[in-house]
Amino acid sequence: MTNKENTPKYHVTKKDLTRTSLRFNWICVNLFNYESQLGPSLVWSMAPLLRKIYPKDEDYKASLRNHFNYFNTTPYLTNLVLGTTIAMEERDGIKSLEAVQSFKTSIMGPLAGIGDTIFWVLWPTIMGSIAGYMALQGNPFGAIIWFGVNILFNIMKVWFFHVGYNSGTHLLDTLGNKINIFTEAASIMGITVIGALVATVVKVSVPFVFKFGKVSMNIQTDVLNKIMPALLPALFTYFIYKLLDNKKWTPTKIIFLVIGIALLGTFCGIFKA
Amino acid sequence: MTIIQDILIIILAGYMTMDEDGIVLLTYFPVIVGFVTGLIMGDMHTAMVVAGTFQLMMLGVAALGGASVPNYGLATIVGAFVAIRTGSGIKTAIAVGIPVGLLAIQLEVLRRIIANFVAHKMEKLNEAGKWRQMLNWGYAGPVLCFLETALPTALIVFAGPTAVTMVLKVVPKWITDGLTVAGGLLPVVGIAMLLHYMPLKKFLPFLIAGFVLAAFLKLPIIGIALLGLGAAYWYFENEVAKSNPQTTAVTPNSAEDDYDE
Repeated sequence: MTNKENTPKYHVTKKDLTRTSLRFNWICVNLFNYESQLGPSLVWSMAPLLRKIYPKDEDYKASLRNHFNYFNTTPYLTNLVLGTTIAMEERDGIKSLEAVQSFKTSIMGPLAGIGDTIFWVLWPTIMGSIAGYMALQGNPFGAIIWFGVNILFNIMKVWFFHVGYNSGTHLLDTLGNKINIFTEAASIMGITVIGALVATVVKVSVPFVFKFGKVSMNIQTDVLNKIMPALLPALFTYFIYKLLDNKKWTPTKIIFLVIGIALLGTFCGIFKA
Repeated sequence: MTIIQDILIIILAGYMTMDEDGIVLLTYFPVIVGFVTGLIMGDMHTAMVVAGTFQLMMLGVAALGGASVPNYGLATIVGAFVAIRTGSGIKTAIAVGIPVGLLAIQLEVLRRIIANFVAHKMEKLNEAGKWRQMLNWGYAGPVLCFLETALPTALIVFAGPTAVTMVLKVVPKWITDGLTVAGGLLPVVGIAMLLHYMPLKKFLPFLIAGFVLAAFLKLPIIGIALLGLGAAYWYFENEVAKSNPQTTAVTPNSAEDDYDE
């Protein structure tokens, strides 16, 4: 891949990398669209640096055209990818575009798997339940910690960009196998936490009292709780999970269905607020 | 004084979306935006109680792969604003917050459709070599994000929170109660979506373990998470050890299937 270039090469500086990383992290999903997803954001954030790498208009245009293509993975880890592509384009110029594209396409699936599991499932779920229960008491301490960690995350994102630039292809190659194992391992933790959420966060109870002559029976406390705790939440989760298998039931439709059930149940006196 | 609060609340709501879809400092997570709402409105206790309620509703809800989910952050801002300004309680906050949070789903979809036109415009400007203009069009993204949540908030702020509570008084009790019940049920949608996203079939025993630890043993979530971490560590070490003896680099294709929607 390493060919001698005729044009004098631009040397990407650390400042360039930090600046491009910050540009990306700032714009990020702001330009998200359904067709190319993060594509325009990649172009917008990298354009100034790519201009330095490609002094020729036609090359610059081709490089941007390449980055307008569909791309989506967890933004935190996108920094790693962009750092790597910058290194590739700096080294091989316009000849690298095909390699850049196939690198991006091949890496976004595995990275989304690991990134989404950690940054969008595990972290907000665990932190959210801790901070959420604190907040119910009127205590903002959990929220403040969360905000503090977000600052650290931002430093980490910029660091990822530098790591990607310095050892991107090498790092992702050696990780190759392990990325999937790591994602699966993180999924184990995620699924365990989700199991706990079903029992604690989903709240359905039927304080409905049956009366047979003089005997009255509370469905929730006398029947359901005797079978097992959190029975209804478990059944309800299973029902919605199955419903999602059906492509006709989009999440939005299901949300309205759930609200409908809640309203109807409350109207009939089955549920109580 | 109240006018300054009004303006700050609208700016907070608009900035929230820019931040959540951008640098992710403030995020749209209810407890953090609720904290800022509490600072602006000068009533931390009410703001945090409202925020905590919506935070728990939101657990499990994750906008993965570009999916749109109810905006519980906006629900928190608007709900806490109305509840504090009118001195009405948490039920008002929920009754106002949930519909607004749901409406925001449609607004997000709309914004991303408009962003499609912006993307095409930028591509055309690239082809034309008008790069300065292309970069300027990029700012349409943050502007659209800001408007997405600032506009509905402005509507409620200007319509006046008293008007909102007046409407709520006319609404029959079973509707406001029903929305509170819905609040307890709604996390189920996010959780079910997450389960679809995760390799559930392979790791079903861990779902059951988490459920039992929480439902029967009443273990706090952080304890359950730590046990999950232990299991994850054990699995990782085992699998890496298994794959190492044959030093041939096997390309893992099969595992990716689990994450495809």
